[in-house]
Amino acid sequence: MGNYYDLDDIIADNQKLPCKFNVTVPGLGYLEGNIGQPLDANTKLNLPLWLSSVLAICEVSQDSQTTFLDLIHPEFFNNKVINAIRANAVNIDLHSILPNYYKLCEKWCVMFSDVELIEVVSQMLKERSNEINDYGQNPKQISSMAGNKFLYSLDEFEKRLYKISTESHKLSKEWFHNQD
Amino acid sequence: MALPLQFKTSFLPLEINFLAENELITILPRVSMKSVELIGTNLPNLNAMRRQEIPLWLALILKAQDKCQIIPPIWLNVAYLKARYDEELEFPNRFSSLPWHWLELSKMLLTKASDDLTDAPHLIRSIIQDLREVRLVKSRKGLKELNEAYLQLDNLSLMEINEIRPYVAEVMDELKKLSDCVKKDDSMDMETNDYEEDENY
Repeated sequence: MGNYYDLDDIIADNQKLPCKFNVTVPGLGYLEGNIGQPLDANTKLNLPLWLSSVLAICEVSQDSQTTFLDLIHPEFFNNKVINAIRANAVNIDLHSILPNYYKLCEKWCVMFSDVELIEVVSQMLKERSNEINDYGQNPKQISSMAGNKFLYSLDEFEKRLYKISTESHKLSKEWFHNQD
Repeated sequence: MALPLQFKTSFLPLEINFLAENELITILPRVSMKSVELIGTNLPNLNAMRRQEIPLWLALILKAQDKCQIIPPIWLNVAYLKARYDEELEFPNRFSSLPWHWLELSKMLLTKASDDLTDAPHLIRSIIQDLREVRLVKSRKGLKELNEAYLQLDNLSLMEINEIRPYVAEVMDELKKLSDCVKKDDSMDMETNDYEEDENY
């Protein structure tokens, strides 16, 4: 899972997710500003994915079922966002929701296997990548108002896709029109 | 590796042009020449005014020295290409059959041996441009049906595939990653089919 050298993957791992502690942890109070105090059970905190995903799986002791914390459904996967994606995937500002949306979606669904979310996100990728390819073929359009807005709404993966697609079309076009 | 991005994702058009130079083409030599043994294709004996098939790169060198006349391939004339163009319009869901290297060969012959062609070069050039555009629009339409496992590219030539390859590969990769997240268990026996790229046209 994940590419060790992929910087976006590292950044996605650092995304903070809301979670709720199931047990009282002594000495961890500094996480919410109470230095030296214990962290109470039922406290809600934002922890980075790489930390919270492990703590959400690990049981407190060998014979208990409780884990250290529960992950709470984050707001970028909630119904409001999903419905917005369903309604108009092309115009949604994905970058401001989350710069690494697809990466995080993968990581989330590996843990919770949320089939519905994957379906919506795959459909969004298809629609948006189509738009990206169209802009890639007509580089002039990207400098228009709509094009500019679209470019800023791309997530990191989509930006890479846009770069690749534009470059490839540009090279082919150059070769085709170059008469020597 | 520290290669530029476009070197990593696909071939450059120039590299494909280079590959196409190895295609065989019929010439009518004006001089005789002994055969030459090379690591790749051997060059056959050339007899003056006797038709012979040789690689395109050699044909272009001989042509530049005025030592041969190139017989254009049967598809490189306005009538044939026009028929293909009409076919493209008639069947919006599939590509007409053109040689694997049609863009490269036609470009090289048009620029370096235009006096050997049967029709006026500017006519051929414009019909080729039309063909390329109509096929580009079609492939763009086809890419709307992209999914994670399957893409069929019947009758597309190497240069045309190469143009869309980086984009297609990237999107299919990501779609696959997404769909793999939710079907972990039954994916093992499906894995063998991953490398077949097909698209429904």
